Amino acid sequence: MTVLLSEPAPAAGPTAAGPRRPRRDLGVQALIIASIVLVTIGAVVPLVAVLATAFGSDALPRYAEFFTSSVDLTILRNTLVLGFLVGVCGTALGFLFAFVQARLDVPGKKILHVIALMPIVSPPFAVATATVVLYGRRGVISNGLFGIEYDIYGLDGLVFVLSLSLFPVAYLGLLGMLRGLDPALEEAAMNMGATRWQILRTVILPLLAPGLVAPFLLLFVEAIADLANPLVLGGDYTVLASRAYLAVTGEYDTTSAAVYCVILLVPSLAMYFGQRWWLNRKVRTTITGRPSGSVHLVTGWARWPIYGLALLAAAVIVSLYGTVIVGAVTRVFGVDNTFTLDYLKEVVLGVGSEAVLDTLTFAAIATPVAAFFGLVVAWLVVRHLHRTAWLLDLGGTLGVAVPGTVLGIGFVLAYRPDRYIGDFQVFPSLVGGGAIAGGAFAIVLAYVVRSVPAGQRTAVGALTQLHPYIEQASTDLGASPLRTFRWVTLPLIRPALLTGLSYSFARSMTSVSTIVLLVTPETKIITSQVLSAASTGRYGVAFAYCTVLTALVLVAFALIRLVVGAGVSLQRTVTSERQKR
Amino acid sequence: MTAAPVATDSVVARPEAGTGRLQLEALTKRFTGRSGTVTAVDQVTLDVRAGEFITLLGPSGCGKTTTLRMVAGFEDASTGHIRLDDAVIDHLPPQRRPMAMVFQSYALFPHMTVAQNIAYGLRLQRRTREEIATSMRMALTSMNLVGMEDRSPHELSGGQQQRVALARALVVQPKVLLFDEPLSNLDAKLRDAMRAEIRRIQKMFGITSIYVTHDQDEAMSMSDRIVVMNKARVEQVATPGEIYARPSSVFVADFIGRANFLEAVPERIDGTSAVVTVLGRQLTVAAHPTVAAGGVGTYLMVRPETMRLTPVTDGGTGIGVVLRSTFHGPSIDYEVETTAGTVTVTEVGKDPREALGEGTNVDVTIDPERAYLLTQD
Ligand SMILES: Nc1ncnc2c1ncn2[C@@H]1O[C@H](COP(=O)(O)OP(=O)(O)O)[C@@H](O)[C@H]1O
Ligand SMILES: [Mg+2]
Repeated sequence: MTVLLSEPAPAAGPTAAGPRRPRRDLGVQALIIASIVLVTIGAVVPLVAVLATAFGSDALPRYAEFFTSSVDLTILRNTLVLGFLVGVCGTALGFLFAFVQARLDVPGKKILHVIALMPIVSPPFAVATATVVLYGRRGVISNGLFGIEYDIYGLDGLVFVLSLSLFPVAYLGLLGMLRGLDPALEEAAMNMGATRWQILRTVILPLLAPGLVAPFLLLFVEAIADLANPLVLGGDYTVLASRAYLAVTGEYDTTSAAVYCVILLVPSLAMYFGQRWWLNRKVRTTITGRPSGSVHLVTGWARWPIYGLALLAAAVIVSLYGTVIVGAVTRVFGVDNTFTLDYLKEVVLGVGSEAVLDTLTFAAIATPVAAFFGLVVAWLVVRHLHRTAWLLDLGGTLGVAVPGTVLGIGFVLAYRPDRYIGDFQVFPSLVGGGAIAGGAFAIVLAYVVRSVPAGQRTAVGALTQLHPYIEQASTDLGASPLRTFRWVTLPLIRPALLTGLSYSFARSMTSVSTIVLLVTPETKIITSQVLSAASTGRYGVAFAYCTVLTALVLVAFALIRLVVGAGVSLQRTVTSERQKR
Repeated sequence: MTAAPVATDSVVARPEAGTGRLQLEALTKRFTGRSGTVTAVDQVTLDVRAGEFITLLGPSGCGKTTTLRMVAGFEDASTGHIRLDDAVIDHLPPQRRPMAMVFQSYALFPHMTVAQNIAYGLRLQRRTREEIATSMRMALTSMNLVGMEDRSPHELSGGQQQRVALARALVVQPKVLLFDEPLSNLDAKLRDAMRAEIRRIQKMFGITSIYVTHDQDEAMSMSDRIVVMNKARVEQVATPGEIYARPSSVFVADFIGRANFLEAVPERIDGTSAVVTVLGRQLTVAAHPTVAAGGVGTYLMVRPETMRLTPVTDGGTGIGVVLRSTFHGPSIDYEVETTAGTVTVTEVGKDPREALGEGTNVDVTIDPERAYLLTQD
């Protein structure tokens, strides 16, 4: 009773101070500040560093040069063409798999689903390297099987590899959309005499058309931001990301690099935010009432050609990943097929062990931090901030909206020099030789910033669906906001946490574009090792690294699930990441 | 909400007079899932006359929708047959059945305008532009949708969406119209208006219709005949009046309207009438064929509004005592404690200020003409 009596009267009117906004809880304030600090040092400062360099007085003449140089203009056009083609092909591939999954009455759909998700857990250039080995000029399949000397280097190879690597996002999004269509719409059409094909043409495709835009834009952004594949497979086909990378690492010309970055930033940010805007529009696809009826799978002969196409794509994917695994234990895959454990030994026990250990350590540190901040930023955005919410939301998203190469160059520009105010060193060098902790700090920071957005999006989705009354009930009982978050919110959105952790880890382990610019002789990272092995033709070692890396990611998924609990399938995990709102 | 009067030759030509007879023969549907097999529809036999409006009525889960979907061709029957105008149509896919369905969610195509929605079926039939225009104009007029052709479905109210869905189904000149709880998304007022509207249109075109609902009031007010279903089976098929006055089971009597069930032992049975003693009076009442003399589990079904209460004024005690009275405006409900248990009696058209108070001793009289003797299941 005394407790109750000591509570302030709930019906108390406005105090003498007049109506005022409740003062923010100290814990919440601390989290807001921590999030702002993270976003600032991890994304805003590097971005500002790039912009400052790119718009510095000695950079300005470069723009005129850029837009008059046919070489540079070709690079710009190459970039946009690559983005467009990958957007189209990846979305089409995603639609093919989604349609087979949701609408065809065919066997083996579960396996097809797993195959379609394989590219998510593997490093991006595993596919590129395997493609060279299988389908390149001396390719095991192209040359060995069909006797063609196909030059895979260039645009065609890049589109092939990037579409295969990136399409899972499109697949999952479109699958969700297809499953979300009210089956009664198709039944209504069927009922009035529409054939299968007419239903596809007049009902399904028009309804999905708006849904094809978002994956297209997303793939466009990811394709033009990619660095590893153009380095391995680009050949003469230079894009902005690889050009900027070359400027930094080969020519030590950070000013040019910054200019290329800014020119790359414009389409990236435009497409990325265009995609977000498109997804957030209020679209009405269903009208009244709940969905009814049931899905009628395509059973006629027409399903077989479509299925065949999907099987072909699946076979290609399997051949590529099979090559990665087989190539890791073969002396020279396709040439000298003797079994060997040398490459795996080199990676696990030899010179590579250092990289594996470093990568694991950094990813293990970055993963919980990134997942935590992803959740916190989401929670602050959805529950605690009002007018400024979009700003923090935007800040948290910069890690993926800004191409990795640009972020990496930003890190180099911002954190390589020691920073002095007067004679006092306020900020030691974080990047490059002589950086503190061998550059480890910058690498972990880059991992965190690149991984926060995935967790953030999932958590925003989960929190938006969680009714605020549930949290208010807890605060009404006297719990502080942080306590409420810990004891009420967090358990309820545990699947989002699981997703955040899994995604953060996978992203950290497989990220290349930012990291290759940050590695130092003291800190070795698997992905940059693969890159150097692949570009020097040591495919066996590259494959061994990729195999080990993929295995580590899968083990980590299992561990995370064990620790966090909640039986959420990978599909659910990934789709919920895609749904935002 | 009432539509403008319409010339009877409107919309499109009616289906040939006398076609559209639909027969279900021992139709059965079993679903096999992880948790075993569910019989959703069990041996349903039904003969729907051409032009008849038939309602499938029953509690949720009794198999109404499944029956309708088998008729439409969306589900294959496990056993049994469906005939349309004497031809077996079991193996026709939905596309080839001359039927049109109005869905609970309306299932209007959100990416098409009202006009495009209505024209959809006609386009599929490859009608000429003029034919489509004519049918469209007539459908819009008869459905009170003129001026809304270019709207998108989500710019319409629920009632308007409903009418578009009906228009879209009608223009393809189906032989059978199928409705699955089409009014359940509308508010009460609109629902009443739409009932009349649907029935008017249906009569105008004389299209055989099967209408699924769990709302007994809807079924009573619209149907030529009602099929009462329970647990996947048909309980009774009859006109609304027949169902109300002569329900074939306690379930039907209870599901349709309100009823008192008074335990009664039939003393004599003479064809379809029986002699019972209820509330101290010997009555000769109509009896269901399953009722047997001296049988147990026999009940006299009496509708509350067919009973009468008379207060016992001379200080004596009557058969019952008023427990509670509830005022409903046009009627007053009394709960009366009697020797045969608590019964509900409804008085209509009485002055509410003269309602009987609680504790009043009353005599209860039953109108034997309107009571019905039933066996429990
Ligand atoms: N596709 C299906 N798979 C499994 N069971 C189903 C399916 N459709 C309906 N049922 C089951 O069949 C029974 C009858 O369902 P339904 O016809 O929808 O009932 P009603 O329309 O009368 O409410 C229910 O028990 C329901 O669970
Ligand atoms: Mg139903």
